[in-house]
Amino acid sequence: MVALDAGGAPIAFDGARKVRRHLTKARIRWVIVALVLIFGAVAGRLVQLGLVVQDNTIEGRARDLITATRPAILDRNGLELAVDVRVPSLFAEPRRIIDVNEAADAIHSVLPDVNVDWLRQRLTGDKGFVWIKRELTPAIEDKIMQLGIPGLDFVTESKRFYPGGPEASHILGAVNIDNQGIAGIEKAIDNDDVALLQQVGLARGNELAPVNLSIDLRVQHVMHDVLVDAISRYQADDASGIMMDIKTGEVLGLVSLPDFDPNNPVTALQKDSFNRITAGIYELGSTMKSVTIAGALDSGKVKITDSFDARFGVRFGRFTIDDFHGKHRILTVPEIYKYSSNVGAIHVMQAWGKENFRAFLHKLGFDQPEPLQLPEKRNPVVPKTFSDIVAATSAFGHGLSVSPVAMLRAMAAFANDGKMVMPTLYKTSLDDAQKTYEQVVSEKTSEEMRYIMRLNALEGSGTRMNKFAQGYRAGGKTGTAEKVINGRYDSGKVLSLFASVFPLDQPRYAMMILVDNPHTEPGQGGHTAGWNAGEATGRIIARVAPMLGISPNFDPMLDSQLVPPELH
Amino acid sequence: MIRSLNILLVCSSICMLVAVYALKYSAEDVAAEKVTLQRTIERQQADLSLLKADWAFLNQPANVAPIVNRHVAELDLQPLSQDQFGGIDILPMRLKAPDTQALDSLFESLKSGVDPIQQIISESN
Repeated sequence: MVALDAGGAPIAFDGARKVRRHLTKARIRWVIVALVLIFGAVAGRLVQLGLVVQDNTIEGRARDLITATRPAILDRNGLELAVDVRVPSLFAEPRRIIDVNEAADAIHSVLPDVNVDWLRQRLTGDKGFVWIKRELTPAIEDKIMQLGIPGLDFVTESKRFYPGGPEASHILGAVNIDNQGIAGIEKAIDNDDVALLQQVGLARGNELAPVNLSIDLRVQHVMHDVLVDAISRYQADDASGIMMDIKTGEVLGLVSLPDFDPNNPVTALQKDSFNRITAGIYELGSTMKSVTIAGALDSGKVKITDSFDARFGVRFGRFTIDDFHGKHRILTVPEIYKYSSNVGAIHVMQAWGKENFRAFLHKLGFDQPEPLQLPEKRNPVVPKTFSDIVAATSAFGHGLSVSPVAMLRAMAAFANDGKMVMPTLYKTSLDDAQKTYEQVVSEKTSEEMRYIMRLNALEGSGTRMNKFAQGYRAGGKTGTAEKVINGRYDSGKVLSLFASVFPLDQPRYAMMILVDNPHTEPGQGGHTAGWNAGEATGRIIARVAPMLGISPNFDPMLDSQLVPPELH
Repeated sequence: MIRSLNILLVCSSICMLVAVYALKYSAEDVAAEKVTLQRTIERQQADLSLLKADWAFLNQPANVAPIVNRHVAELDLQPLSQDQFGGIDILPMRLKAPDTQALDSLFESLKSGVDPIQQIISESN
């Protein structure tokens, strides 16, 4: 820097290097600004992408929920009662469809039952997802894929399939198109945990452990078969039955006719096809005498050797209660059971005490809804306190309506050394079942009850049953309850029942059979319970006993061993 | 020194570039393969579930019973009745020694031209 002219202002020159350095600095600044802007834009875009919520729902429901599976339902031997079938379902993304008319016509050519106008309307718009048709076959999936229309695709859905058709329908229930249980054990499973699993998305694939029911499909089939036959044979309105293992409480078969096809859930909603065993309550007629006599014997106030005067009807004010097929003589306790004497049952109950009777019904759970896991239930109708006349009619099964399951449980307890088990539809071990045991009557009473049950089969109203179930040492009690039609008992319309236990020398299974409004089978004897519900019971026992490992034994010693020592 | 370092860096970045792109394309290929495999698995699971359902259906008593009923006449099928059951204990014990007398008399009658078993059969007919 040299001053050239001392008079003028000094002129300063920057060196070439310095100038370039300044220029470089400015350029670098600009580059930095540009880079910051570019990277800012990239970062902004990234944040924006991260914030986009992907619409994974299908018409408001999560995709996982639609494709979720349900556990297979197996019977006690591992045979499938309900399985999931994976089927393709066709959906469209209208916003990706280019030519709506072409697409609609093409789909219509493969699925002729779909309306073209409806299709056009469905495919128009900019929605992300619409169902076209659900639960198709793989063949149709191939055909539609070959059409090559953009915007059409498939979701693999699970569809419930019941290989047995209507046979176990009332146990299994049904599911709706979204695979949610709407009745029966399917609904019970949902209430337990499957719904929760599906909600958190764990129920995908085939990961769910199958549910093992206590049902034995062979027993179920035999019961269904015999009861279908019973309806036509006795021209009955409907029929139902349940069989239980008295040691473990496992229900082996439960049939209620008319039933429905769970593969077509609409039929489940028909009025008449409700589950009569769990959702029905009935006046159980003379089968109640088992309860009356068991309770009275257990109290000690009535002994098996006692006799009661059944010569005359019992008067309550204007009413007289008499016997149906009266013997009109003095009857012993086993005879009251054998001849099903109403008068005798009333005397037994009176000797025992009506409060004790009511308390015993509570102990047996007759005033509670039945405890099976099915959601279909109904509260029993049992008066809180018994007046003299209600106690008297209840002693032979009129004036109180209870579930057949309650009666089954009581019969099982009377045969199982007085130990009442909790009935269940799930496979259970004996150890677990024993934890639910309640001692309702003594072992001695149980022995006496086994004797009179068998006696009734040998000499009383159960002989028709015994004729079919020869050798299986079955016994039980008939019941013929007049039905209430328009508020009055109608003797022309009855409900026939048979409560049974077999084999009585080593009791293992209890069964209740109900036949509603039976008629006399052409060429046969009568229309009381022994002739229809009894015969059906006998036919079922004869067919299922060998399957359950009970071999017939005609040794008369087995029967005589049942006789209590007092009656030798 | 700096020059050779630069050449090295350029070369290595070209190599990296090639490698990254190769990786990207192979990842895409694998992803596509995965999707295909998933589709196949899904398809096969669907087929399997159908076969299982078929098997379950064919094994149901509800399906077998009508088949049995159709062939009752041809195969002369009858339900097992209670008196047809037996146990190992009702079989008679084996004889300690062969009954020589009975065998001798049988052979003698055969020699003389009389077949007692044939007689029993013709009598029962």
